[in-house]
Amino acid sequence: MIMTPRAFFFAFVVTATASAAGKLDFNRDIRPILSDNCFACHGFDSKKRKADLRLDTPEGAFKAIKGVFPIKPGDPEASSVLQRILTHDKDELMPPPETNKKITTNQVEILSRWIREGAEYKKHWSFETPVKTVPPKVNGPLRNMIDAFIQARLAEEKISPAPEASREMLIRRATLDLTGLPPSPEEIDAFLADTSEHAYDRLIDRLLKSERYGEHMGRYWLDVARYADTHGLHLDNERSMWPYRDWVVRAFNQNIPFDQFTIWQLAGDLLPEATMDQKIASGFNRCNVTTSEGGSINEEFIFRYAVDRTETTVAVWMGLTAGCAVCHDHKFDPITQKEFYSLYAFFNSTADPAMDGNILLTPPTLRLSTPEQARQLVDYDKNLSITQAKLREAIAKLNYTDPATVRPLPPVQTSETIWFEDAFPTGANVSVAGDPTQFVEKEEGPVFSGVKALKRTANGVAQDFFSAGGNYSIPPNGKISVQCYLDPKNPPKAVMLQFHSAGWNHRAVWGEEGAIPYGTVRTPERVRVGVLPEAGKWVKLEVAADKLGLKPGIKITGFAFTQFGGTVYWDRLAMSSRVEPSKDPQWSWQVWVEKNQGRRVEGLPNDLQTLVRGKKSNEWPEADVKRLKEWWFENECQSARELVEGVRSEKLALEAKKKALENLIPATFIMADLPKPRDSFIMERGQYDKPKEKVSHGTPAVFPALPKQDKYSRLDLAKWLVSPQHPLTARVQVNRLWQQFFGTGLVKSSNDFGSQGEPPSHPELLDWLAITFRENGWNIKEMVKMIVTSHTYRQSAQFSARSVHLDPENRLLARGPRFRLDAESVRDTALFVSGLLNPKIGGKGVKPYQPENIWEPVGFGGSNTRNYIQDHGESLYRRSLYTFWKRTAPPPNMTAFDAPNRESYCLRRERSNTPLQALTLMNDVQFFEAARAFAQQAMKSATTPDARITRLFRAATSRFPSASEAEVVRQTFEKHLAAYTAKPEEAKKVIANGESKADSALNPVELAAWTMIANLLLNLDEAVTK
Amino acid sequence: MTPLFEFHQQQTRRQFFGKVGLRAGNIALASMLGRDLMASSVHTSLPELPHFAPKAKRLIYLHMNGAPSQLDLWDHKPELARFFDKDLPESVRNGQRITTMTSGQARLPVAPSMFRFAPHGQCGRWVSELLPHTAKIVDELAVIKSVHTSAINHDPACTFVMTGSEVPGKASIGSWLAYGLGSESNDLPAFVVFTPSFPAASQAQALFTRMWSSGFLPTKYTGVALRGQGDPVLYVKNPAGVDPSNRRAMLDALNKLNTISHAQIGDPEIQTRIAQYEMAFRMQTSVPELTDLSKESKATLEMYGPDAQRSGSFTHSAIMARRLIERGTRVVQILHRGWDQHNNLPKLLRGQVEDTERACAALIMDLKQRGLLQDTLVVWGGEFGRTVYSQGTLAKDNYGRDHHPRCFTMWMAGGGVKGGVEHGETDDFSYNITKDPVHISDLNATILHLMGIDHRKFTFKFQGLDQRLTGVEEHHPVQALLA
Repeated sequence: MIMTPRAFFFAFVVTATASAAGKLDFNRDIRPILSDNCFACHGFDSKKRKADLRLDTPEGAFKAIKGVFPIKPGDPEASSVLQRILTHDKDELMPPPETNKKITTNQVEILSRWIREGAEYKKHWSFETPVKTVPPKVNGPLRNMIDAFIQARLAEEKISPAPEASREMLIRRATLDLTGLPPSPEEIDAFLADTSEHAYDRLIDRLLKSERYGEHMGRYWLDVARYADTHGLHLDNERSMWPYRDWVVRAFNQNIPFDQFTIWQLAGDLLPEATMDQKIASGFNRCNVTTSEGGSINEEFIFRYAVDRTETTVAVWMGLTAGCAVCHDHKFDPITQKEFYSLYAFFNSTADPAMDGNILLTPPTLRLSTPEQARQLVDYDKNLSITQAKLREAIAKLNYTDPATVRPLPPVQTSETIWFEDAFPTGANVSVAGDPTQFVEKEEGPVFSGVKALKRTANGVAQDFFSAGGNYSIPPNGKISVQCYLDPKNPPKAVMLQFHSAGWNHRAVWGEEGAIPYGTVRTPERVRVGVLPEAGKWVKLEVAADKLGLKPGIKITGFAFTQFGGTVYWDRLAMSSRVEPSKDPQWSWQVWVEKNQGRRVEGLPNDLQTLVRGKKSNEWPEADVKRLKEWWFENECQSARELVEGVRSEKLALEAKKKALENLIPATFIMADLPKPRDSFIMERGQYDKPKEKVSHGTPAVFPALPKQDKYSRLDLAKWLVSPQHPLTARVQVNRLWQQFFGTGLVKSSNDFGSQGEPPSHPELLDWLAITFRENGWNIKEMVKMIVTSHTYRQSAQFSARSVHLDPENRLLARGPRFRLDAESVRDTALFVSGLLNPKIGGKGVKPYQPENIWEPVGFGGSNTRNYIQDHGESLYRRSLYTFWKRTAPPPNMTAFDAPNRESYCLRRERSNTPLQALTLMNDVQFFEAARAFAQQAMKSATTPDARITRLFRAATSRFPSASEAEVVRQTFEKHLAAYTAKPEEAKKVIANGESKADSALNPVELAAWTMIANLLLNLDEAVTK
Repeated sequence: MTPLFEFHQQQTRRQFFGKVGLRAGNIALASMLGRDLMASSVHTSLPELPHFAPKAKRLIYLHMNGAPSQLDLWDHKPELARFFDKDLPESVRNGQRITTMTSGQARLPVAPSMFRFAPHGQCGRWVSELLPHTAKIVDELAVIKSVHTSAINHDPACTFVMTGSEVPGKASIGSWLAYGLGSESNDLPAFVVFTPSFPAASQAQALFTRMWSSGFLPTKYTGVALRGQGDPVLYVKNPAGVDPSNRRAMLDALNKLNTISHAQIGDPEIQTRIAQYEMAFRMQTSVPELTDLSKESKATLEMYGPDAQRSGSFTHSAIMARRLIERGTRVVQILHRGWDQHNNLPKLLRGQVEDTERACAALIMDLKQRGLLQDTLVVWGGEFGRTVYSQGTLAKDNYGRDHHPRCFTMWMAGGGVKGGVEHGETDDFSYNITKDPVHISDLNATILHLMGIDHRKFTFKFQGLDQRLTGVEEHHPVQALLA
């Protein structure tokens, strides 16, 4: 269904051009036929080549095989290729019937003509150096050279360009295209009032200076960079990457030249004395998805990340799909598998770990500290290394004998201390969250032991606790137990014990994990011990102190009984301990090893954690065993406690302070290389565990060579991409800009400039733009300005019957661009016209309205992005590029409008038109609240219904309504007004949607009716279209 | 939808109406808007599809996320009892990679299933005692014991089983089918996804929207989630205070204004938008009708069991699946979580089975009673299997199992599937396949085949390649499974 019209259009372009231009052109007319039908078996990939015949080079095609010429220039009849296409013999027929490929009669004719004309081969067009031709002379409305190329092509088809669009349309189009927001009625008025010749240029200059420009341009780049706020795989936990996003916005606003923009992102970290911004920019290739899934094999992911970075870089800057060459030589484009892995070598030595650790800041990262903060951090580090040295000294003095090796075995020691029975500790500072503390005696309710039990009934989260005056110590192997009784008539959602040492950071939860939303899940801050105990009887709940991060020796200065809803009784909290040194991993090293090998040990440095988990203890290297043992003495071994405790608490205190400071400082992923590079190999069939031939850094032979030197780095690759000789980078980037403004690139397949992609509709223009871009110092704003000031861009978007049929996709540009706004712009526009938009730039991702149950049904139980906790206030109304982006469940009102999920690079968004979009625009609280605010604004700024209609209509569409349009709106308003007058209660509900409050000075019934009108106008095709 | 696509659709509307005809419910609207507008609101099939007469017109895919243990459900290995707590023979493992969750374990002790198996049905299929309801319908099932995959961890394996590739970005099977075959429903999505609740005790792996995403296909083929909580379809409910007549008044005006724009600008996309708003309005009616179970018979509800009316449960989703396909939806996928039993397997697996098993069997019987099973394909399975050796504690009645991609069991039933057959064999340890291996891509090729599609010809050009659900390697539909 989709293929047919495309083919239809192509037939039109190809045949029209071929006849007009006379001679056939290999790249335009021949290569697509051969590439589609022949190259898979007779092309570049030497391993898959059949019959030793290669048709992608003249050397291959012209060489006789057993006296037969595959192609004989000038002689179609003697060219066996043609005969094999035309034969009726099924065994002879090419392409073979089982490939489902067929060459049409028309194509056969073209091939035959090409052979007759001499069978001239050319390098694929995009690999040839661009040539700047003199723009053709035309007689049309010419504003700059773009128009010359466009109109020359139109003249060939005998189509005239469209006249300029209305001025209202012009300011709407330009403002939306340069800022992602529509113009305000005031801005429109000012523009309409400026009758000077330069009014439009001035408008463009104003828009290019607006900070909104960087946000809008940056938004496209974030698709390219696969930017998001989570890791993307498995747990899909949060990552801190937003300083990179803010840098992108800044870079566009500062108009950093595209060559620098490129170098910083691919190799900013390698620049001499790299600035903070250059380092932040290097985060581009840290935006890929990563995992920390238990069971994953490190080598596999190291490999995958490097492949992703290679593919992304090749696609973004060269517009080529290198993915095929991961497994085999590219079938269609001249990238061998070896060349792919030579590119991959540039990215295969990055310092990020295979497992992201599910943490916010997977190294290498950069803290954006102030000089003062940086100095403090250095101080902490200095002191930490001093304490670490002291610890090491203390450990060295230790005379340790493993109790498991002593005979007879050391005796077992047990103890139990009651922490809570009938009352909180004497002198404790008892408080509550909720109703006052209540104890019940046996006559009043269940009591487990002693004379009283604690009772609490709650709605939501409530607790009894004490915070000072008690003092308990955690024994070795401590086990906490408490008696709990749930009212069967009114059970809670969850119950929780919480302990205070340095802070209230130790929680044990029974029941629904998310009910009590404090602490990071799956850390000692929030341990889900089990399901709710059975109601209607006393149940002993138990949890090991260690699980809550309560190490032996830690002092407890408070505890809390917490619940979510229901009625709960608590009694007898006790701490017990049983130690059998010969079998205890806190006494015996041997036991610790046996118990922990193959497990993920919390608190171990990352590399040791991986080692212990993934390898058997007899395979652990000696040096690592030494470090492990030191760690064990410091953190686990009870017989070392006395010796290390003093220094250790000094160290812990320092670490806590450092962490507190670090939490204040934003940080972001950056790129860095390992001190010792990894070797790179060709991986057989793209399998991480099948390394074959070793390769060194290099670029594909079809392109200009890298300068000769001993060693290469990513910096060399980046510089190579933006070198003047490179045939692709400038073309690919100007094409993407073109696509942004016109909806389709000059090369429609903006993600594929290879032979399977589509050739440019205007090759000379593409080259002219590419060279101009480079010659003007890769100046993006200048290029954008050239595009938007061309007549081609300024044309009316009116469809004519002729052009719809001749050129439905508007590839020839006989009219101006008109298409639906992207997801972000749709939402931002609604917020902007309604006056709700919060213009704050940058910062951590925000969580605006989102329907319930978007994250929860898919999120992993332990993920810190399992529960969506919506923000309030101004964060609801930020521009959409600041919305927190969870890759495995992106915001639904964005994906409904074709926003990609950001799992991999996206160079071209689709533009669909679906019922789900209609539902979103009509009913999503974000849009409906905007309608109310929009209505409110109109009611306040204009008094008569007609004036209000005009105000609303103009803000939504940037133009005045016609009389008939205004009449439709007026009648509809009256209908709504009548309906809500009859049901004033419903009107109140209408205006109460959303968290911002309706203006109480306005009549609710009228406001409701106007809200429906605003909702109507925000749903207009024109309101979501530029 | 691109203008181009739209343009083409208008060109071909005659052909379309000739083929499908207007459904009764839309006639009023069609006359109101003119026939042109109706064409674009229907999910049409690709003109070249189906490649041949399909045996199945619809697919219900029951995905047990986390990897159900084949050893405790289907792959009966009576000989294993002798090997309790003995090391897995090296000759069986043969140096294969295992995950880093057990690669550090000192030994790999064999854990025989603690569950009893017995032969059931006319076919005499051995089924675990955990599946009492499924045991009654085994004569309908083709049980495939030799499915294998290349991924060893959940994220890549789920991505693989659903999209044919371990690396995110490809189209899901449901999206492929919606794209290729369209759907017969005019007011409901072509591809619907459920993510029901799961037992609280289970540690559930994550799901990913990419499992039902359209990938490189147009985004409108992405699965639409039908949700257990909140709006069943996102944003389908009018905001508070807006009733259907208010909405209708607003839409009437919207249509008029958009029609005026269209007359002025001539952009065919405006017409599509008008039609999509009308479909949205129809969904606002059809979705509540869909989710209203009040007309289901008592017998039906009883067959599905006590959870039948609990919105958001697997059972409820199963009934909804049947209701959807009755209304013309092409693909329904239910992704049930919590099947990742690394430890405490006997207890946790029982919980998983209790949450789903009765409904799976009821769904088959329900479809059969209504005559729908003959052209509805039902698929059951996870993303890989589980190991014969225990992870963590091993007792006769308590063990855990790690990930095992080398063999696992899935079943298929309904449209075009040979009932009562068993396909493929594994060794005595359910470790290696000894006969008739079925790769995930073979299985997907089989699904496509049953739906009238030659998987080799069903391609979409993306990134310079003819993308296929079944990838570039050679794969085949499994002939032995075809009726």
